[in-house]
Amino acid sequence: MSDRYSFSLTTFSPTGKLVQIEYALNAVAQGVTSIGIKATNGVVIATEKKTASPLIDDSSLEKVANVCPNIGIVYSGMGPDFRVLLSRARKAAQKYKRVYNEYPPTNILVKEVASVMQEFTQRGGVRPFGVSLLIAGYDDNTGPALYQVDPSGSYWAWKASAIGKNMVNAKTFLEKRYNEEMELEDAVHTSILTLKEGFEGQMTENSIEIGIIGG
Amino acid sequence: MSSRGSSAGYDRHITIFSPEGRLYQVEYAFKAISNSNMTSVGVRGQDSVVIVTQKKIPDKLLDPSTVTHVFQLTPYVGCVMTGLIADARAQVTRARQEAAEFRYKFGYEIPADMLAKRVANINQVYTQRAEMRPLGVSMILIGYDDERGPQLFKCDPAGYYVGYKATAAGAKQQESLNHLEKKLKKDPSLSFEDTIELAINTLSSVLSADFKATEIEVGVVTRDDPKFRTLSVAEIDEHLQRIVEKD
Repeated sequence: MSDRYSFSLTTFSPTGKLVQIEYALNAVAQGVTSIGIKATNGVVIATEKKTASPLIDDSSLEKVANVCPNIGIVYSGMGPDFRVLLSRARKAAQKYKRVYNEYPPTNILVKEVASVMQEFTQRGGVRPFGVSLLIAGYDDNTGPALYQVDPSGSYWAWKASAIGKNMVNAKTFLEKRYNEEMELEDAVHTSILTLKEGFEGQMTENSIEIGIIGG
Repeated sequence: MSSRGSSAGYDRHITIFSPEGRLYQVEYAFKAISNSNMTSVGVRGQDSVVIVTQKKIPDKLLDPSTVTHVFQLTPYVGCVMTGLIADARAQVTRARQEAAEFRYKFGYEIPADMLAKRVANINQVYTQRAEMRPLGVSMILIGYDDERGPQLFKCDPAGYYVGYKATAAGAKQQESLNHLEKKLKKDPSLSFEDTIELAINTLSSVLSADFKATEIEVGVVTRDDPKFRTLSVAEIDEHLQRIVEKD
């Protein structure tokens, strides 16, 4: 069915930039805000669940998702692209378990997902993913971990981060509120306050989604 | 930020990002749906789901029994397609294949939400690969899940899908959605007859037309009869009569 384009669509501009990746980041910046905070005994990730219409059945929409029992994931940007990456992440986790009989540590899974995203910036005939991901995990060796992965495929570990529309203000807010001794309960509370900062309209238990690991 | 980067001009031709981070091809696919001059509506009730669409026969020489936008995907899941009919047939064929494969592999019929997800994931691939354009159709999918009750989903060219209490697609989509939002604001519990009535009334209201039974198609699933079926002209007439009498 598909005669593959044998050339990459993401190519260098004369100034040395990969513009398709920058445009993908613009798509992410238009997406709804998501927050992640690492505590001493766990990690919390949260996002707004703004449905465009009251006719939508919001129980059918899952934005904060489970990758494996010790890793969760949330996104900002294009929902359909997220579903693809979520599938790949879940499959990668199961593949690891089949070999090592335990679920992957967070940094290993993040590497997998990030390398998929990088592939789509270099392979022929595809565009980059229009999502940034916040991946939260807990394993017995390294403890709680929070990673951000961008459309370019680059990733960093964070103590607390925000992605999406309101990320600049949210990060400023987090810088003020974050402290290293925070426990999971406080982190959840802080994440709700951070989301509230940029929230348009009334925030209810149905209009945000929160995921936690650890505690 | 640097001045508006040169986009090489292809961002409108294939699905790569525009400078603002948009996918023009996907947006144009949505336009193709609005240009189709058809509107479809789906409503989920307490124990039934209904889809209604217009049946336009542009030429008297056409065989009206072959003109349809309502399709059965599995014995228990059906859909109404809005947009380019050729793309619609392609997507329906693919959806039927996926459903059949699921039945073969796992031994039971695919639930509506999983089929919707599969269709949406296929749509997402078309938004990411240059060699294939997004399809110019919206699929409104209905089914009765024995665990979760009546289900209504819509899959669009962007690869997005979500469950609905009521939805619409096509030329008069926004007007239909406004009408449905108003009627469902109080979260009423709709019986089978009420569900059909709301769907047909929405279509009548936004198109400012009183339908004859031959001018609309209706597909239903109910708790008592979870098999997807399209209503016959006589059955549609019965419902239309009841609506007229209510006024």
